[in-house]
Amino acid sequence: MMVGYGSEGYAVPFLPRPNSVAATIDGSVGLLIRIFGEGSRRLAQLDAGDSVLLLGPLGVGFDLGQAPRKVLCVAGGVGLAPFILLPRWAREALPDAEVHVLYGERDAAAVFDAGKLRELTGIDAEIWTEDGSLGRKGRITDGLELGDIDLVLACGPTPMLKAVRELALDSGTACQLAVEEHMACGMGTCIGCIVETVDPTTGEQRYARACIEGPVFRAEQLPW
Amino acid sequence: MVDLSLQVFGATFQNPILLASGTCGYGQEYSGVIDVDALGGIVTKAVTPKRRRGNLPTRITETPAGMINSIGLANVGLEGFKREKLPWIQENLRSAQVLVNVAGWTVEDFVGVVEGLNEEVGFLGYEINVSCPNVKGGTLFGTDEKALAVLVKALRESTSRPLIIKLTPNVPDIGVFAEICEANGADGLSTINTFPGMVIDVDTRRAVIGNETGGVSGPAILPMGVYATRVAATRVDLPVIGIGGVRNAKDALQYLLAGASLIQIGTAMFVDPFTAPEVVAGISEFCEKHGVGEISELIGALEA
Ligand SMILES: Cc1cc2nc3c(=O)[nH]c(=O)nc-3n(C[C@H](O)[C@H](O)[C@H](O)COP(=O)(O)OP(=O)(O)OC[C@H]3O[C@@H](n4cnc5c(N)ncnc54)[C@H](O)[C@@H]3O)c2cc1C
Ligand SMILES: Cc1cc2nc3c(=O)[nH]c(=O)nc-3n(C[C@H](O)[C@H](O)[C@H](O)COP(=O)(O)O)c2cc1C
Repeated sequence: MMVGYGSEGYAVPFLPRPNSVAATIDGSVGLLIRIFGEGSRRLAQLDAGDSVLLLGPLGVGFDLGQAPRKVLCVAGGVGLAPFILLPRWAREALPDAEVHVLYGERDAAAVFDAGKLRELTGIDAEIWTEDGSLGRKGRITDGLELGDIDLVLACGPTPMLKAVRELALDSGTACQLAVEEHMACGMGTCIGCIVETVDPTTGEQRYARACIEGPVFRAEQLPW
Repeated sequence: MVDLSLQVFGATFQNPILLASGTCGYGQEYSGVIDVDALGGIVTKAVTPKRRRGNLPTRITETPAGMINSIGLANVGLEGFKREKLPWIQENLRSAQVLVNVAGWTVEDFVGVVEGLNEEVGFLGYEINVSCPNVKGGTLFGTDEKALAVLVKALRESTSRPLIIKLTPNVPDIGVFAEICEANGADGLSTINTFPGMVIDVDTRRAVIGNETGGVSGPAILPMGVYATRVAATRVDLPVIGIGGVRNAKDALQYLLAGASLIQIGTAMFVDPFTAPEVVAGISEFCEKHGVGEISELIGALEA
């Protein structure tokens, strides 16, 4: 969904920012925000009663349609956001499926509260840090084995997505990746957030709009 | 609600607010959020003779009180427009007027698109984009007096539909270009398209926009748009469509007073898709409060 502040008073930031729906609790929407710049700083400083403009849900999300039995979620940094909601949703949609979350950050200080994460998702995520200050040491994709996984979902920095995609294509595992692009409208009108895609059957390449044709694409659709 | 309808280009606009080219797709994109058919109208994304992929990413970035875009006229092309986009417009935009934005690199490109659409129904006329800063040669016709004259004349011979020329502010005197359009048979003018600009990421020392430069739009360009509209409206007898930086009724009213008959809203729709209907309501409120019986009373009513 797009999160913004309206156009009165020359709002800073000016454009709305795309954000994932990280939780839905009693009719409210929860966001997980990492502070980068103006937009995320303002969001993090909101008080109860402040208003923001939410537009959504927009675009194509993760798809559990093929009834996978074993789902692996690979989260890099704030790419954790969609995987907070997903395990509970998956349990409702696919009661027999097993869902695992791998979650990587640079160091312990960056890691989202593990207790809170368990409370929200109902499962224990496997935490990795690049410097080993918490959980397993290294990059999340370092020892990744997709063996008996039916579906791998990933959200995070592009290099991580590329690594997951390679592994999934090598092992023939179904794989969906959430890409990140700068967006303005979130509704497909400005054609600003394009990603190169390929039609797996015809090989035809074209730009797709990440906001409404994505942000989730199947690994075979991304000619990386 | 005061009746905001007015006659322009021989047609009825139910109110003076249109969505600007390149910021509303083909109307359909906004249809789940606002009642597009309740607006004065929409201007489609540019249509070129052939389908275009457009420029490399990154295509958009934020600027103080605005944004830069370098989309590069990505569009479905003439045949794609007829096949994929026009049917929805014909079916759903019955009360809102539709202008088709046309872009090209040669006189033949522009004429080809116009002639390719002349027989179709479902839209009122053409907005000719001679002012795109994001493709090589995009402002060629908009900045060369002789070339513009030749183009407008050729287009006039190719259609009897309303022909509106969208001008670039990137010239010393936009009035000269307005006069050329009038002398060669245009029915109206749109002022303005975006200003060329760039943003540099100081950490990487690279331009943020993939194409290095792009067009600046949004509230930052409001005073330049109002000024260009004023100049154009005083120099020619054609209806002028005011564009640039509108985000509320007050901004739109500035354009009306400067001489615009119609107003387009672009970038502000990205910030808040309810902007256009709110501007319509705000103009109506203003008219009520100030005893304005007809919107035409406001057009060009700037006090000296
Ligand atoms: C589909 C999608 C879902 C997202 N979900 C979340 C979420 O759940 N939580 C969250 O915190 N963030 C999320 N983001 C990222 C978010 O939209 C913002 O980019 C981020 O919050 C930074 O915005 P800002 O205004 O704080 O920083 P800015 O001041 O805009 O930028 C800070 C720096 O980041 C760069 N940057 C900004 N936006 C992007 C971008 N989209 N891609 C690459 N670089 C960028 C800028 O160039 C600048 O260098 C998501 C992005 C997408 C596309
Ligand atoms: C993302 C984007 C795409 C645009 N595409 C076109 C286009 O295809 N043809 C055109 O004539 N103008 C195009 N424009 C210019 C707008 O129609 C308008 O003239 C300009 O943005 C100023 O208005 P605003 O400040 O309300 O956005 C585009 C603008 C933006 C922001």
